[in-house]
Amino acid sequence: MRLVVLTTALLALSGPAFAATTYPLTLQNCGAEVTFDKAPARVVTIKSTATELLLSLGLGDRIVGVGFQDGPLPEALAAAGASLKVLADKLPSQEVVLETDPDFIYGGWESNFAADGAGERPTLEQLGVKTYVAPAACRTVKPPKLSFDAIFAEIGEMGSIFDADAAATALVDSQKASLAALAPDPRGLTAVWYSSGTKAPYVGAGSNAPAMIMTALGLKNVFGDVDDGWVAASWEAVVDANPDVIVLVDAAWNPAAQKIKLLSENPITSQLDAVVNQRYLIIPFPASEAGVRNVPATLDLAKQLAALNIPAK
Amino acid sequence: MPQRPAYLAAYAGLWALLLASATIAVTFGPAEISPTEVWGTILHHLGMAGDSPLSHLRDAIVWQLRLPRVLAALGIGAGLALAGTVMQVLTRNPLADPYLLGLSSGAALGAVIFLLTGAALLMPVGAFLGSLAALGLALLIARLLGGATPSRAILAGICIAALASAATSLLIFWSATGDSYREILSWLLGSLSGTTWGDAVLVMLALALCTPIILLSGRGLDAFAFGDDAAASLGIDITRLRWTLLAATALLTGVMVAIGGAIGFVGLVVPHAVRLAVGSRHRVLLPMSMLVGAIFMLWTDTAARTLFDPRELPVGIVTALIGAPAFLLILLRYRRVT
Amino acid sequence: MSGLVVGNATVKAGDRTILNRVSLTAPKGGVTGLIGPNGAGKSTLIAAMLGLRRLSSGTIAFNGTNLPGMVPGERAKLCAYVEQSATTAERLTVRDVVALGRVPFQTAWQTMPSGHDALLVQAALEAIGLSAFATRLYHTLSGGEQQRVQIARALTQEPQLLLLDEPTSHLDIQAQLLVLDLLRRRAEAGCTIVLAMHDLNLAARFCDHLVVMQAGAVVAQGSPDAILQPDLLRQVYGVAATIVRLPGSAHPIVVYDRAETDAAAAKLD
Repeated sequence: MRLVVLTTALLALSGPAFAATTYPLTLQNCGAEVTFDKAPARVVTIKSTATELLLSLGLGDRIVGVGFQDGPLPEALAAAGASLKVLADKLPSQEVVLETDPDFIYGGWESNFAADGAGERPTLEQLGVKTYVAPAACRTVKPPKLSFDAIFAEIGEMGSIFDADAAATALVDSQKASLAALAPDPRGLTAVWYSSGTKAPYVGAGSNAPAMIMTALGLKNVFGDVDDGWVAASWEAVVDANPDVIVLVDAAWNPAAQKIKLLSENPITSQLDAVVNQRYLIIPFPASEAGVRNVPATLDLAKQLAALNIPAK
Repeated sequence: MPQRPAYLAAYAGLWALLLASATIAVTFGPAEISPTEVWGTILHHLGMAGDSPLSHLRDAIVWQLRLPRVLAALGIGAGLALAGTVMQVLTRNPLADPYLLGLSSGAALGAVIFLLTGAALLMPVGAFLGSLAALGLALLIARLLGGATPSRAILAGICIAALASAATSLLIFWSATGDSYREILSWLLGSLSGTTWGDAVLVMLALALCTPIILLSGRGLDAFAFGDDAAASLGIDITRLRWTLLAATALLTGVMVAIGGAIGFVGLVVPHAVRLAVGSRHRVLLPMSMLVGAIFMLWTDTAARTLFDPRELPVGIVTALIGAPAFLLILLRYRRVT
Repeated sequence: MSGLVVGNATVKAGDRTILNRVSLTAPKGGVTGLIGPNGAGKSTLIAAMLGLRRLSSGTIAFNGTNLPGMVPGERAKLCAYVEQSATTAERLTVRDVVALGRVPFQTAWQTMPSGHDALLVQAALEAIGLSAFATRLYHTLSGGEQQRVQIARALTQEPQLLLLDEPTSHLDIQAQLLVLDLLRRRAEAGCTIVLAMHDLNLAARFCDHLVVMQAGAVVAQGSPDAILQPDLLRQVYGVAATIVRLPGSAHPIVVYDRAETDAAAAKLD
């Protein structure tokens, strides 16, 4: 709600008029060409990142159903998203999705558009339902290394699709400003982004949100050289690197507290400097994938990082 | 077939190869630690040398991560090869592997249940309980089929395996999140990541218990070559032999699967490879299969954890990649000989 | 009482009676032939002696000891068995198979045959004429060669009682005579031999004592001269035959005339 007020105010205060979308609008998305004849009016969003992006643009009234949400909405969007209809806790089936009579499905992962999920994109296109895959999650067309600009571009693209250019621009500008105000940590610290895994840690690697966020924070990602979003690594590699800081992803099914317990009880990791001194940064799962929450999460992590007392090397 | 001196030489050679492999494999890994440092730290822990030459963390890498994993790989390889050999002769089926009694499917179900209910660290316990449950159910069904004979137990095991597999798939589909998919898949493929000293000791205990029982049945297995009647006429108590071997194999496999997951191909291919070289005299085949299985498992696991540094592959992928073509070669060799 | 004595042995499987109060004596140190048409119960009787088929009633004793009741390990040191056909999928050489005969005498932790074992194996191979085949894989041999290997294996057991089920069925003529000659010499050395036979002429020539079985019962037993009579042959085998004795020969010869299908023969099937 606050964001809507903010964008309206900005609109009122700003000078030049924002570009209205001219339909039909054609764009390339994840290996498919999608043409919009008008702004979608009945939208199904799958995965939190998709839902949150549309809510941030004030488009909550057009969402007829959500599926596979990864966690509760952030405070700022909670009110707008309170009455959203949940179609399924996990991936909804094609029938359930089509029952809501949507004209647009926005998927946070490419796999959401499988035959046993929301349906395959060509099939949906034939039924007159437009589809969109979050570019950072595209597998058929490998996206370039994720940057904040790519996220802003996705926001902008949504703005075009929904003829909500003003809201999109406002959001992007505000996030850009916050980001510009952030100074990377000067201490040259190393970090491991520990997402999941007990016997073998699943860690953030070099080309998706973890790398993007860690770079912005000024942290050197131990696995940043690996050209993948995340990678199944070995404890040996983690221990050998002895990172200064460990970023923990906090998910409902795998809370940060559980990870901390695992790290401190394991005979090897319990000796890591970061574990002994409890140098953890915690990020909620929905904010750890490419979306509108990355910038606020980065700011929050920066605050956590600044509060950590780490002796100079 | 070669006589006594040739056999002794072969044993000596295999043992030497095993020890050499272990010595070398423990020096491999993502962390850059020189072989002298590795062995320096191991000797230090064994109380034989002075201080450890490494920092406490790198020392932990060698002593807590690599060494137990090397030992577990050796033990699991030996155990699975032994179990596979026994199952092949007991069922008179060259395609038999240690998992025939529904053991690995039951273990998978147990492991998945424990993982999905949040007890991820206790997955080995779940796996072991699952394999015991599968075995128990198989025996129960065999009784219901009209008396638990070993062949009925195996048939029932096949049913249980199918049932457990279906249940596992359902559970995974129903409640797994992206994270647990990965852990489950890794377990189903077979993985020695994160092996602890506790795991290694368990593997060795299971081996220590079951190996003598199985090796001492070598005589009976040899007599069994021409069927039940022939073996009975040579003085072997067939029924007792079968039950003893089934029990020992089930226990051994249950523990191996609980620790390492459903590692495939070792129990199937190693016995055939060794049989091609030394024939079917079980008193020689069984111990040699163990040695070859151990060496094979050690090298495949070392490859799995070092080839794609810093990634770790589940070792089951490597055993399959090597095992499948190896099996093909063995089959071709069989054809040429017969 | 020495030798093999079977007293009223009965074997039932469900409702069917396979052996019906079979009684016979196989004298010690003699060759006793079990003859009779297919399905007479010869194989079952031999299996019952080894404890492989449970006796519903009756006794089987060898040198006074209850044979089926013995501990299998002890019985294997006394009595050897050659099945009708023995195949295996295992990769065993001829020497390996023959060496199996020493299993009852080996301990569980003995991984290789002892020197004594090896000598017995070699002797058996030579006696049966297969020493050139020692390193060949068993399953590559012909049926007849495999049969001879099994006999060699039985010989390494140094049995006092040797039970053979149709040991010459796959052998060519020369091999048949060699094997039966070998068995005769064993008998003369003190081994009691019981063999199920098809060929009546070979039975007549090599056996001291014949037991005729039909439909699970003993029809007659005695010396070949006494047993091989045209009436019996017609009754049991359904053939018309003439018994001939060559001058100077110790045993009768059966010359087959034709198959008999008259009412008298058919009734007794």
